[in-house]
Amino acid sequence: MSIEAVQVSPRQMTWLRRRRALLRVWRELRHDRSGFTGLLLLVFFGVVAAAAPLIADRSELLAAAGRNNPDLAAPSAKFLLGTDDIGRSVLSQLVWGSRVSLFIGLLATVVAVVIGSTVGLISGYVKGRVGSLLLAIDDFFLVVPFLPLAIVLAVILGRSPVTLALVIGFTSWAGSARLVRAQVLSLSERGYVERARALGANSRHVILRHVLPGVAPLIIANATLIVPGAILTESTLSFLGFGDRLSPSWGKLLDGAQSSGSITLNAWWYYLPPGICIITVVLAFTLFGRALERIFDPRLAGR
Amino acid sequence: MIDSPVLKVRDLYVTYQSSFGPVPAVRGVDLDIALGETLGLAGESGCGKSTLAMALLRLVPPATQISGSILLDGQSVLTMKPGQLRLVRWAQASIVFQGAQHVLNPVQRIGSQIDEAIQLHHGSTSSTVREMLALVGLSDGCADDYPHELSGGQKQRVMIAMALSCNPLLIIADEPTTALDVMVQAQILQLLDNIKRERGLSMLFITHDLSVLSHNTDRVAVMYAGRIVEVGPAEELLRGSIHPYSRALAESFPIIGDPKSRHQPKGLAGDPPDPNSLPSGCPFHPRCNVAIDSCKSIDIKLSAVTKSIDRQVACVHANDESRSVK
Amino acid sequence: MNFLYVTKKLLSAFLTLIAVVIFNFFLFRVVDRDPLAKYRGRSKLSIAQREIMIERLGLNGSKWQQFITYIKSTARLDFGRSFDSTRPVLREISDRLPATLLLVGISTILTILIGVYIGARAGWQRGSRFDRVSTSATMVLYATPEFFFGMLLLAFIAGRTGWFPTGGLRDVGADTSGFASILDRAHHLVLPSLTLTLGYLGSYSLIMRTSMLETLGEDYLTTARAKGLRDRDVMMRHAVPNALLPSVSFIAISFGFVIGGAITTETVFSYPGLGLATADAIRNTDLPMLQALFLVASSAVIIFNLLADLTYGLLDPRIGRAK
Repeated sequence: MSIEAVQVSPRQMTWLRRRRALLRVWRELRHDRSGFTGLLLLVFFGVVAAAAPLIADRSELLAAAGRNNPDLAAPSAKFLLGTDDIGRSVLSQLVWGSRVSLFIGLLATVVAVVIGSTVGLISGYVKGRVGSLLLAIDDFFLVVPFLPLAIVLAVILGRSPVTLALVIGFTSWAGSARLVRAQVLSLSERGYVERARALGANSRHVILRHVLPGVAPLIIANATLIVPGAILTESTLSFLGFGDRLSPSWGKLLDGAQSSGSITLNAWWYYLPPGICIITVVLAFTLFGRALERIFDPRLAGR
Repeated sequence: MIDSPVLKVRDLYVTYQSSFGPVPAVRGVDLDIALGETLGLAGESGCGKSTLAMALLRLVPPATQISGSILLDGQSVLTMKPGQLRLVRWAQASIVFQGAQHVLNPVQRIGSQIDEAIQLHHGSTSSTVREMLALVGLSDGCADDYPHELSGGQKQRVMIAMALSCNPLLIIADEPTTALDVMVQAQILQLLDNIKRERGLSMLFITHDLSVLSHNTDRVAVMYAGRIVEVGPAEELLRGSIHPYSRALAESFPIIGDPKSRHQPKGLAGDPPDPNSLPSGCPFHPRCNVAIDSCKSIDIKLSAVTKSIDRQVACVHANDESRSVK
Repeated sequence: MNFLYVTKKLLSAFLTLIAVVIFNFFLFRVVDRDPLAKYRGRSKLSIAQREIMIERLGLNGSKWQQFITYIKSTARLDFGRSFDSTRPVLREISDRLPATLLLVGISTILTILIGVYIGARAGWQRGSRFDRVSTSATMVLYATPEFFFGMLLLAFIAGRTGWFPTGGLRDVGADTSGFASILDRAHHLVLPSLTLTLGYLGSYSLIMRTSMLETLGEDYLTTARAKGLRDRDVMMRHAVPNALLPSVSFIAISFGFVIGGAITTETVFSYPGLGLATADAIRNTDLPMLQALFLVASSAVIIFNLLADLTYGLLDPRIGRAK
């Protein structure tokens, strides 16, 4: 066997290193009780959302589906979580609602993370006018109250789930931009970014090859912590009338429960389950995200 | 007076709890400080000298184990109830911390930080903030300042004023001149010296710099890896140390007033040992240039040397004629 | 705190306000291509009616002319008329502002006091029973949408016990003057302010706990202990005043969330303030109202941030204290 055969290409080296890092994260996560609980809960909700068509038929969400069922019926063998004010099964809506809530939460997070990381990376790396302009924009978005802004944008741009996700993403990136910027600044103080620049690498290369990998763990942990906020915002917007009643998210279910008077009618099966689902998923993301933060940033350990 | 020292420490062990397990920072230390006496305690950072200082008033983290005995003016510090301990702190022994940068509360005025101690231990002997500031050469106006408005030297004066405010018997000065520039260092040393003399105070003066001990201490103890390796009268020890570590430590700083030493500074090779995994035998043997085979297995106890009754050394060469004072 | 610091903060608040006003125009006139379409279905408008609406909304002329018109009317606090009630927007807002100020004011004070207390104690006694229980509880509080709290309070307290009214500002037909009316108003405020307080207690106490943990290792705490201070006094006199500093700015930033919380809380309790007005404006696509409400909400946050900056200046002697 020749020597070349056992040599590992740089690319393979990188992948090996990444795999080892991932394994380390997994091992530490395994021992982080609250973080691991969060992960298990997330897996559960992920499975439910993915398997929604197997649990309940989508046609059960149609207004016509409840026509022959009793309105606001208490839980029974046929309707495990009772029915809503137009006779539709609450459980079916809950199961399908997990798709809507998780989809909007995740899409919004992607939008927020992309905007936030870009603004953070550039404003941290580029000095001068561009940097300070981005910083000023970031400051502005930190001050502007995000829910009223999201409301205004959603009213103007439309009420579909995708629009809601874009709007939520667009209103929740400022904090992570600030975080990424701080990390970039502290990375720049270490030598290797300077070195790469001195070797003649252009900004694009330095940012993508040297700065981004350094801030990536932080971005991932931060993203995990943006999701719960996005899900909460989605539920708030749905509660305030946005979203689609025929494909309801958990927040939309709460809106229906509130406006149908289920509270005064003691129809707890209508308003409790969606609320509990929101709390559980938000909690799960928060626990998981905080665990990632602890693993990636040992300074935070023991918090 | 010799019979009842202000501070009497016997067989003191201090063990921290860390995530890697217990860390022995102080390993069996005996100390005596008589009334009006100043003991200098020298060693590299990490040798356990600051831990020792903190343990004297039980100011170590909660999970830390302390064993042995500490008698402060005859009272046992380690067996005291918390209430009594609080009365002893500052009133019997106070501390001048190193680098007054962060040891003063940044959002409280200087005056009220000094006054806080006075109010806490008010008695017939209590003094006023103004008197204390005057004592350390600061103007009344400083009382209204915040720490960030003072220079490093001024802050250290404040610290000294605070330490004196409750008329303690003993002052523990933990690297009081580190982080100050040389001129200010000299002023602070002078100030401490004057006050000590005027008030007949006892002092434990902790430093990594042997040269600052030369003119203001009565006795000097040298610490290495949590133990005292040499102790003796200041003059004698500084002029001719017996333990190879003391010798190396003395040579790494120029001796004030000795131009020869200035031109031949000798550093000490290597780093102090990790308290988690101390070398076998004498913990200094990996860095020692006169170590013999037995040093790797036998740890010599601190014991009196034949040539001077006041001196104790923990080294196999302690009584070698060839290693004596040159 | 000196004159320069105050001036700087005032100026920056003013500039942010200007930026919000400009941003507001951008949102409603540039992002929104056709505001008129949202006026209750355009088909019903005749050409003459359209002309009137364009005039009234300040939509005539180039974007630049529209901008000048907008700035002028905003400076006069003229926000046009509500699509829904057709009353002047300024009137609608000034009628409802006091109720919201009261609700948000009470809740913010309660949240800060309780949150700072819980966070400070949990951080100080890190790892203790109090810390474990309160941290778990605040995580759940944090994860709960505040309007869900409102629904639970309605269902289990107002509904089951009848101790508190289920909504509104005052009882119908009740005496509107004197002490009885104050009691009645207070009675109607209990559940909404409790909802809003519970909704944001979690984040405030987590913020304070983190700041407290960051001060734990500070040398001046060792100094205080060495002086012989009780643990309680070390915490209250030395740790808390320092830990409050970073918390002030974070709490100011979180105030934007409380504003959002007021919208849903008022909706749950039909509490006729600006929040309920916002919910109504959403359902009616009432652009003039939304535009003004957004301006009010942003101004509230800017003012609160300014107050926080000034408080910071008072708490931290290192900020701009000229020697």
